[in-house]
Amino acid sequence: QDKPVNLKMSSWVPAQHPLNPALQAWADDIKKASGGTITATLFPSEQLGKAFDHYDMARDGIADLAYVNPGYQPGRFPIMAGASLPFLFSNGKSGSAAIDAWYRQYAAKEMKDIKVCFAFVHDPGTFHARKKITLPTDINGMKIRPATSTIGQMVTLLGGTNVQASAPAARDALEKGVADAITFPWGSIILFGIDKVVKYHIDVPLYVTPFVWGMNKDKYESMSAAQKKVIDDHCTSEWAEKVAANWADYEAAGKGKIAAEAGHEVYKLTPEQLDAWRKAVAPVEGTWAEGVKKTGEDPKAVLDNLKASLVKYKAAL
Amino acid sequence: MSTDLVAVIGFVALFALMLLRVPVGMAMGLVGVVGYSYVVGVWPALKLVGQTSLRTVSDYTFGVIPMFMLMGAIVTVSGVSRELFKAANSMIGHMRGGLGAATVLACGGFAAISGSSVATAATFSNVAYPEMRRFKYPESFSTGVIAAGGTLGAMLPPSTVLAVYAILTEQDIGKLFMAGIIPGLLAMAMYVLTIAIIVRVRPDWLPRGEQKPWRERFADLKSVWAPLALFIFVIGGLYGGFFTPTEAGGVGATGAFLLGIARRRLDRAKIREALLSATRTAAAVFTVLIGALLFGYFLTVTQTPQKITDFLVHLGIGRYGVLVVLMLMYLALGCLMDAMAMIILTVPIVFPVITHLGFDPIWFGIVIVMTVELGLITPPVGMNVFVIKSVVDRVSFATIFRGVAPFVLTDIIRLAIIIAFPVLAMWLPSRM
Amino acid sequence: MQQATTPNLTDRIIGTIEWLAAISVGVVALNIFVSVVLRKFFSTSIPDAYDFGRMLLSILIFWGIAATSYRGGHITVDLLWSAVGPRAKRAIDVFATLMLLVFVIMQTAMLFDKVRLTRIDNVLTYDLNLPTWPFYAVAWTGDACAVILIAVRTWRLIFAPDKLHDEGYETAHPSIEESKS
Ligand code: NA
Ligand code: NA
Repeated sequence: QDKPVNLKMSSWVPAQHPLNPALQAWADDIKKASGGTITATLFPSEQLGKAFDHYDMARDGIADLAYVNPGYQPGRFPIMAGASLPFLFSNGKSGSAAIDAWYRQYAAKEMKDIKVCFAFVHDPGTFHARKKITLPTDINGMKIRPATSTIGQMVTLLGGTNVQASAPAARDALEKGVADAITFPWGSIILFGIDKVVKYHIDVPLYVTPFVWGMNKDKYESMSAAQKKVIDDHCTSEWAEKVAANWADYEAAGKGKIAAEAGHEVYKLTPEQLDAWRKAVAPVEGTWAEGVKKTGEDPKAVLDNLKASLVKYKAAL
Repeated sequence: MSTDLVAVIGFVALFALMLLRVPVGMAMGLVGVVGYSYVVGVWPALKLVGQTSLRTVSDYTFGVIPMFMLMGAIVTVSGVSRELFKAANSMIGHMRGGLGAATVLACGGFAAISGSSVATAATFSNVAYPEMRRFKYPESFSTGVIAAGGTLGAMLPPSTVLAVYAILTEQDIGKLFMAGIIPGLLAMAMYVLTIAIIVRVRPDWLPRGEQKPWRERFADLKSVWAPLALFIFVIGGLYGGFFTPTEAGGVGATGAFLLGIARRRLDRAKIREALLSATRTAAAVFTVLIGALLFGYFLTVTQTPQKITDFLVHLGIGRYGVLVVLMLMYLALGCLMDAMAMIILTVPIVFPVITHLGFDPIWFGIVIVMTVELGLITPPVGMNVFVIKSVVDRVSFATIFRGVAPFVLTDIIRLAIIIAFPVLAMWLPSRM
Repeated sequence: MQQATTPNLTDRIIGTIEWLAAISVGVVALNIFVSVVLRKFFSTSIPDAYDFGRMLLSILIFWGIAATSYRGGHITVDLLWSAVGPRAKRAIDVFATLMLLVFVIMQTAMLFDKVRLTRIDNVLTYDLNLPTWPFYAVAWTGDACAVILIAVRTWRLIFAPDKLHDEGYETAHPSIEESKS
């Protein structure tokens, strides 16, 4: 008989966020598979620690499992940052399977302090603005609240200014003109009431934010072989996609809702326009590559692997 | 040991340490770390100390606290309270009870640019008390009106206590500030009314002050432009959304500084004093914040907040019954600690109850701050009263509490009004 | 606040630390002011103003805590303390200062760990990609000073209370107006 284990799972998003039920379902399935010996308690809303610290919390055993946004600490996880480069992912579901399959080869090295259970992404976000943005040159002189530091670099590169604001404060910043635009996934725009203050939305999968569901190593090691197997069976690319699905659906559904609202313009880019964007933001990749070189990896190979994985899982843009 | 028992022992240890004068922040931190070690493990607990300390002090949102403290400290050393009192006194000091009403008005004016209740009480102990005594106002009334007027500092925006409440509950600081305006103005009106009633009942008690010619009175009134401009700039800018709360604090502090320089109210010594004072208050408050977070993480892993919520919600005394229980608890805590420490310690535990019962978080912020401030002026122990005593040493506590009693009564009525008519707090923020 | 004694070394150190912390408060305010002006009127920003603000804040708070701890300016519950006689008062003071020392030693050790890891993990600022650890190291220095100064305070409190009194132990409390809010 295996020793009963209770896992403290930490998620920094608020209780009502669509990710939380998916994480709970993941834990419930583990409970079933382990014959009830592995149970879990989910702590949402930063109850165990701040969003910024979730990697360290998993490392230090403050949480047994933690929802990590590696991008919160620019420079710390340079390989993973590759997934936040613009115009790579077409969708969040198979994109999650793709990033997980890709990151498995680097996780043990780049996130060596924790057991990476799986990596995943949210459904791609885009520019939502008070005035119409179609070409990269439109960014010049605009004040933008970026989603990640990579998008922030892109904004700076295109002559814009970054405005930092937490997600709840972002609406206010946009309403009062502190910011002119935001990069956000679609459903979250409605969730935070930002659809009341921005009218123009480019219908292009601009970026995703990569995340990791990470486990404390000692906790994992303390388990019996049978229990470890249950955990391993739940740390797969399939589960990455399953956990991400709920949230991805939620975000993707936001696009239709916004398009249906009066006074909103949701517009696609022509292939030429998209090409212009890809060219204009290319230098961001160079900056990223510099960071990867320091780790001893070949940035080109890393990115090619990611692209191959995206193609394989039908998640490439 | 069950986690419930661990949590109870934690609370007992916390109060024991605090009574033994271990600083509130360190007491919460120590109990939090020891309790967390017991429940989770020593190493995670120690790691939590480093992580929580660093994250708290480098959180941009928390930056609003030292910034408004700096603004308050600069206007304090610039002698604004004296100008405000002089202006109010010129206008109404010649009426019966006029000096008292002038104190209330000047406290309100000062509160509009300073975020601290205790600082407001302290500065007017220096400014208004001697003047009231000069015109033979009783010691009890003179100290009582200052103690009550001081509480305006935390109600009228800016307010550091409201800002901390907003951060802890993830509410909009700007909205909480706006929510405090009408209850604050109501407080001023009711304090003045209280004085008018006292004058009716005891006509000889509060004699007339001196009457100045109109020219002089207008000249005194003119100096009000500077604090008024600062208020409109900072609170108006926040209301209009020109800047975020942290920015409002930083811009307000810089504005107060520039105004002080331009009006020759600041010299090197005063600037130094203001900077040091803001640093000290901020350091003291952040210590409590760090400690409270550590204590809070300990409570979280014992799942205490959920259990307390469940307990109170299923008590069968209704939502207003629970509200009254909570308010009585705050009045009791008011005997132990100051407003900031009380808010930081209790809000993470109490807030889930409030949201569960369906009360509005902004409205509750106003109610809780009013209650906490009431605790500062009620016997047996109240921080505002202590501060006044430290400045005006000859007066006994009993005298001050006697003087503040009519205002306490007013405050209780006002609290009932705000609870009965939440719209008084909610209307302005809803217009943002 | 002080009697007319010449300030000794610890007082001078603490004075300097506190003054540096105080200057940081002013710089944080100025940083915000300039950022707002640049954004409003020139649609531009100081690179990393946000991160600089945060890191300056950490310096000011830790250095401020050092000074506050030494001067006994923390928020305390004085209900029991003010009700007992001088001997019990002293016992309470010794106990409280020892607890303060324990906490600050723990905090300083774990902060060192945090700063060390921030360096190893190569955490950078948002815009300019500068390493963040040097800022935190400076902040940590404040906490380290706090340990030494509280140790000095504790030692004097136990073995040389007269000396502490000479330094204005009773009166050197920052006035309540300053230490409470
Ligand atoms: Na105020
Ligand atoms: Na009281």
